[in-house]
Amino acid sequence: MLGGWIDNYTQSVLIFTGINIIAAYSFFAPFKTGQVSLGQAGFMAVGAYASAVLTQKFGLPFIVSLPVAGLFAGMIGVMVGFPALRIRGVYLLLLTLGFAEIVQVIVLSWDYVGGAQGYRNIPFNPNTLGYVAVVIIALIVFFGRLERASLGRAMDSIHQDETAAEAMGIDVVRIKLFAFGAGAVIAGIAGGLYAHQATYIDSTTFNVMLAIEILTYVVVGGGSTYWGPLAGATALTLLPEFLRALREWLELVPVAWTDFFPMNRIYDFLYGFLDFENAKRLIVYGLILILMMIVRPDGLLTRDSLMRLHFSRWTARHA
Amino acid sequence: MLDRPVTNKTCLAVERLTKRFGALYALNDVSFEVAAGHIHALIGPNGAGKTTFFNLVTGALPADDGRIVFEGEEISDGRPFRRTLKGIARTFQNIRLFPHLSALETVMIGEHCRSYGSIWQALTSAVLQKPFNEAREERRMRENALELLEFFGLAGKHHTKASDLPYGDQRRLEMARALATQPRLLLLDEPSAGMNPHETVELDKLIIRLRDRGITIILVEHDMRLVMDISDRVTVLNFGTKIAEGAPDDIQKNPTVIEAYLGEDVPL
Repeated sequence: MLGGWIDNYTQSVLIFTGINIIAAYSFFAPFKTGQVSLGQAGFMAVGAYASAVLTQKFGLPFIVSLPVAGLFAGMIGVMVGFPALRIRGVYLLLLTLGFAEIVQVIVLSWDYVGGAQGYRNIPFNPNTLGYVAVVIIALIVFFGRLERASLGRAMDSIHQDETAAEAMGIDVVRIKLFAFGAGAVIAGIAGGLYAHQATYIDSTTFNVMLAIEILTYVVVGGGSTYWGPLAGATALTLLPEFLRALREWLELVPVAWTDFFPMNRIYDFLYGFLDFENAKRLIVYGLILILMMIVRPDGLLTRDSLMRLHFSRWTARHA
Repeated sequence: MLDRPVTNKTCLAVERLTKRFGALYALNDVSFEVAAGHIHALIGPNGAGKTTFFNLVTGALPADDGRIVFEGEEISDGRPFRRTLKGIARTFQNIRLFPHLSALETVMIGEHCRSYGSIWQALTSAVLQKPFNEAREERRMRENALELLEFFGLAGKHHTKASDLPYGDQRRLEMARALATQPRLLLLDEPSAGMNPHETVELDKLIIRLRDRGITIILVEHDMRLVMDISDRVTVLNFGTKIAEGAPDDIQKNPTVIEAYLGEDVPL
């Protein structure tokens, strides 16, 4: 669609950044009520496989299969959400992780969706960038309005003290279930978008590492405001691209500047380190996380910091 | 000026209420009635079962035995938020505010259950609001909340985060939040704990003003001066059993009560 004025490489970077942003919002929805889920990659898998089956085996158009896949993931989400209501913290993390593992095992052993060979020949969607843009805008509008509305405040209160929220007449069970289901719908849509962009998925596409990356986006971006997931996912997805560009700039440094000790060693180290085709990405992730936890434990963007930037008229705080 | 509501109606009645924790009876066969429009104090030494009583009435804990009747309707079953909807609100002994919400937002949380009957109503209202424009309901909630904050002497602090407020303000904010749920029965769990003598005197007036609004109040309190000054009726618990009930003057002379408190340095 935009091929005329964006080259393929940029387009694909934008698409995967966008899918990561959507995935980050899928984590944000349950997180707003205090539920930390490592199952979002599992819901992405559900959405991806559902959408792929609907288009490839049933011949439905993508514009139909995508929302259906999202709703299907949402139904599974509500089913997982029920037992998740009773448990908190580390135990909820383990439950959602267990769910994601079950999904992985099912797609691995189910020949109908390709089994161990993976799901091939998923119809390619040439307009993914447009879809991604529309979904992200819809999510920002939705979560923005939620943050200014009573329901959003109620979700925050559940996050901060569930017992007190319930005692104040908040229907904690329903709101938590809604948040978990909404997160699953969003994850399913992210998965569907991914499947029709990559055209190939298998049981390892949506693994635990992905779930942890999604969590990282929100933790780094900031979980207290709806701009956090956007900031975190964008920053962390584009970081490797930025470092790749840095490597190219490094090549422009005149040899004479670095042709002596210790500059040659430093140069070699940096040049090697910035090679982001390998697992060093994870080292950088780890370092960023540790640094963030020390410097800004609440994430890059917090409600308080946005408030100070005169965003106050967008929130319920002013009177 | 609203006159004292003179009525013989019962607001809350508990019958043979029992709660066990293992072999320990936190409440054993406790029955009493709270008259509508009264300030009814619930006193007793530590571990007498006062907070357990609150937890049973608000539904935070299920009762093992007995009935709880609120305004003639049995409410022994049901989750806490349903009881709040019926008109019972509480404060907590250890303050439980939402640390990151401002005072104003905190009170608006209390109003949520009255403004939106269901999550779908709340959701449509959130999604359908005009961009950058507050919904009418939101504005109404905010004006209400500001009024409540003023009533509790918290005017001008509505932007302050709950956790940044001084202790006495936090106690009053908890009361404002409870009042925002429009209760007819308010359970106050040691409202004077941590307050200085001046604040406690202010609290006297505040609780009486609440009663004059027509709200029935059950008060758990260790400050005997406060209890004896403002209560219409006093029930005394000890080791989960009711040992006395009556007007404040009678309770102070009751030998059983004095015995229960003996050894504790509480002037009766």
